[in-house]
Amino acid sequence: MALNFLFYRKSLIALTGLFLCVFLVVHLSANAILLLPNDIASELYNSYSHTLRENPLITVVAYVLYISIVLHAVVALLITLHNRKAKPQKYIMDKSQQNSSWYSKNMGILGTLILIFIIIHLANFWARIKLGIGEEVLLDKNGYKDVFSVTYELFQNIWFVLFYSILAIPLAFHLYHGLKSGFKTLGFYHKKGLRILAKVSLIYAIIMGVGFGIIPIVVYFK
Amino acid sequence: MLNSKIPEGKLEDKWRNYQLQSKLINPANRKKLSVIVVGSGLSGAGAASTLAELGYDVQCFCYQDSARRAHSVAAQGGINAAKNYQHDGDSVYRMFYDTLKGGDFRSREANTYRLAELSAPLIDHYVQQGVPFAREYGGTLVNRSFGGVQVQRTFYARGQTGQQLLMAAYSQLYKMVKAKKVTMHARSEMMDLVLINGKAKGIIVRNLVTGQLERYAADAVVLATGGYSRVFRLSTLAIGCNGSAIWKAHKKGAYFAGPSFTQIHPTALPQSSEAQSKLTLMSESLRNDGRIWVPKAKSDERPANEIPEDERDYYLERRYPSFGNLAPRDIASRAAKERIDAGHGVGRLKNAVYLDFKHAIERLGLDTIKDRYGNLFKMYKKITGIDAYKQPMMISPAAHFSMGGLWVDYELMTSISGLYAVGECNYSDHGANRLGANSLLQASVDGYFILPNTINNYLADEMKVNQPDLNHEAFDKAEREVKSNIDKLLNINGSKTVDHFHRELGKIMWNECAMSRNEKGLKEAITQIQNIKEEFWNDVNVTGQGDEMNTELEKAYRLADFIELGILMCKDALQREESCGAHFREEYQTKDGEAVRVDDEYSYVSAWEYGEDKFKLHKEHLNFEFVNPTVRSYK
Amino acid sequence: MKITFKIWRQKNSDSKGTLKTYDVDGLTEDMSFLEALDHLNEQLVLKNEEVIAYEYDCREGICGQCGVFINGRAHGPHDHMTTCQLHMRSFKDGDTIVVEPWRAKSFPIIKDLIVDRSAFDRIIEEGAYISSKTGTAPESNAIPIPKAKADKAMDAAACIGCGACVATCKNSSAALFTSAKINHLNSLPQGKAEEHERVEAMTWQMKEEGFGSCTFTGACEVECPEAISITNIAEMNARKLKAKLLG
Repeated sequence: MALNFLFYRKSLIALTGLFLCVFLVVHLSANAILLLPNDIASELYNSYSHTLRENPLITVVAYVLYISIVLHAVVALLITLHNRKAKPQKYIMDKSQQNSSWYSKNMGILGTLILIFIIIHLANFWARIKLGIGEEVLLDKNGYKDVFSVTYELFQNIWFVLFYSILAIPLAFHLYHGLKSGFKTLGFYHKKGLRILAKVSLIYAIIMGVGFGIIPIVVYFK
Repeated sequence: MLNSKIPEGKLEDKWRNYQLQSKLINPANRKKLSVIVVGSGLSGAGAASTLAELGYDVQCFCYQDSARRAHSVAAQGGINAAKNYQHDGDSVYRMFYDTLKGGDFRSREANTYRLAELSAPLIDHYVQQGVPFAREYGGTLVNRSFGGVQVQRTFYARGQTGQQLLMAAYSQLYKMVKAKKVTMHARSEMMDLVLINGKAKGIIVRNLVTGQLERYAADAVVLATGGYSRVFRLSTLAIGCNGSAIWKAHKKGAYFAGPSFTQIHPTALPQSSEAQSKLTLMSESLRNDGRIWVPKAKSDERPANEIPEDERDYYLERRYPSFGNLAPRDIASRAAKERIDAGHGVGRLKNAVYLDFKHAIERLGLDTIKDRYGNLFKMYKKITGIDAYKQPMMISPAAHFSMGGLWVDYELMTSISGLYAVGECNYSDHGANRLGANSLLQASVDGYFILPNTINNYLADEMKVNQPDLNHEAFDKAEREVKSNIDKLLNINGSKTVDHFHRELGKIMWNECAMSRNEKGLKEAITQIQNIKEEFWNDVNVTGQGDEMNTELEKAYRLADFIELGILMCKDALQREESCGAHFREEYQTKDGEAVRVDDEYSYVSAWEYGEDKFKLHKEHLNFEFVNPTVRSYK
Repeated sequence: MKITFKIWRQKNSDSKGTLKTYDVDGLTEDMSFLEALDHLNEQLVLKNEEVIAYEYDCREGICGQCGVFINGRAHGPHDHMTTCQLHMRSFKDGDTIVVEPWRAKSFPIIKDLIVDRSAFDRIIEEGAYISSKTGTAPESNAIPIPKAKADKAMDAAACIGCGACVATCKNSSAALFTSAKINHLNSLPQGKAEEHERVEAMTWQMKEEGFGSCTFTGACEVECPEAISITNIAEMNARKLKAKLLG
């Protein structure tokens, strides 16, 4: 059974990864609210996050999300360890940059950066809003938790702005390669389809990278 | 003395009659019998897997790191079969006749007919094994033309036919490894044959990784060790190809037939330097659409594309109008040599002729040529750096196939009981010249279809004989001899490298015993090779030890056998005072340079018996019952 | 031309290896890379030193036996080429060339530049064949195979088993090799009967041999002498899924 798990772990990474890709679309569209003028954004954003918290279906999805992140990271770690064992001795001279891209070879490092980001991101928001750790979250005029203000305040700190914006870059590269190869891992091999997939992945990665990267900056300067 | 064991009856009934009369072994008893197969190419892997399917216990050996490397892999163009899919008048009889005529009537009718007869089922067999032969849009198999033939009967898988057939044979071999009926020994080289009571009962093997000598015993031994054209050093063969296994068998009593019959392939890449180790073959199929020419002017220094049409000599089309560029290999090679020797050669060393696709591209379009020969053009560019779509290829003749080999009877048994030779290492179907795309055929048919149906005739009686014992004194003696030979080589500590001697041998063989031969040259060659032998055993330097992986030692003991084989080849060429097929004696030619065959005196297969001082000739007279040998004309 | 070779020397599988430097003169641009090594070896013999062990056989790019890492790339600086097809004109006078063996856990070094690739044979042994005996074949044209299908099978079947894909892959994955064989046989009508067993058994053996997993960096298809497409791996994954669901 244990070995059978090994057999499926690549697919597991792909499935959880693709799920996370879908999640990011939703997440970014919601965050786009932050680009609107503050008075509109504030109300919209708080009511949106309230709806999410109250919807039982979303609660289930949230758990799937947590599990996905954990599985994606843990299984990736296991595979990476296994893969390292398969090449115990490295080449003294290595010019693999001539045959493959650096990001495709360093998904582990990119993923680790993203994981660090996620932890800090969760500490900034999730811990405060859902777990009530740290400073208390106030209510807005509609009686919803004022998540907008939490965000707004955070991005008045230039260091957080830089951290959030810069880490959108590894995210973009990770998504670009991840989306492209996730489908291949799951057995999508239609030649023309793969060419389209490569383009779609690129566009997707750029939108995600630019989108997530630009929001903190916009909020900072607003 | 030499009994070829040709069965009675009409030509088309002989093989069936043979099978009806041959002894059978019941499946339960086959399990008790073991067979050694040396070599894992089409004939070796084919024989090993089929014998294992029949129930025999098989041990298979190859010197490479895997059975998949065997040199059958390198055949590019295709494999012939009398399927008559093209509806162009082909038949088993026509194929038989083409092959016999192509070989200049120096092979047995019965063998050659059987080759043609079994060709069609062989294609079925390979298709069933998953060979992706070229197909029409509708899904049926495609054929192409090949030299020496006016019908289209060649099946192919791009320019990698040999590779695809070998992959099929190799996979079938591993199917039987999985079934535990074949034990595969890679990186293992046969060093000697072991005879017990005059019968082949085992071999001594050197493990190429550890250097240890190992003994293997079996009820019969099959040699499938390929050709020996590396005797010329520069050849189209793999660097590791060698004649040692058959030479060792020859020294133990197996007759060597037609040793000097070596095919020089007309379309290889020319030699470019002294250090060159290999002449890469460009498939003969290129001659389907390519046109061969040289400049009419001697030493013309202009680039090919600047030489106008009327200053080009399409010499094959000129000399052989009916076959043109598709003249058989021996004729095309000799014609190239004639032009090069006359001072019309091209290239830096003036040792090549042009093979031009300009007209074919104009006529058929670039895409069609790319589809047919794309990978060959790519290969040409990798090696030479030249784009052959834009300027003609330069090609040159190179040593290629050994028609000669161990003499075998109709059952493929050599003159030693229980020792069989299959594929290129035997002398059977090709006579004095082999037609293109017949070598994959012969190797496969020998291994898959013939041997598994003849070996039972011998093994049936071996049931009564005790299993050979590895401690038998014959094994002791053979292993001692191998060991002392290796020690001797390692202890000469001379001043010259193995490659130095190989280059010297190659030059002599290429100059005197290749495309054209004469009495004076051959006599001198024999003396010179004897000198090389003397010097080799006194002045070679083989570094390293015997009990480890030692690539220099491998080269050295293979060369030692090549040197002795070279002498026999020259003696054979000297003895045969006629021109036939690839054997062209300058003394026997017409005014316009065509070969003169002397059927009254030389219509026999020369089978040489080894002797310490002197080789003894046995003649197997060829009896043409069904075909009248004619003058071979391709004009 | 003059070249400085830095070549991996290792006595046997148990000992430790190291790069050793050799200055070689008298090379020409026409020489193949392997002929340059031959030349070096002849000089070593004349100096009574032990020669460098490296592999080759056909020297025309089809047998798959040659293969070393040259200046940080499998089979040298060019794409889609074997070591034996590499010529010295690809280097400049005075260049330094670093030569290492294939490195992968599943390809243990035997000596110097020679590695043991028998893991490939064992993958083949698990099902890269059609289980029909000699003598059982039907007439070939009885089962038509459309050109496109035959061509696709041929594209995959072109693999020469050199191991460059494993050597260049950062994970030493044998997925390109294994998938090429599976797709060749499974895409033909003759291979259909055993398609699911074949995928299961061969991919299982691939893991058993200790090869890493594919992360689609694409290095393998660049170094593959036959330019076998990485799409084959995706196709193998689909076949595996199909085998799990239907097999």
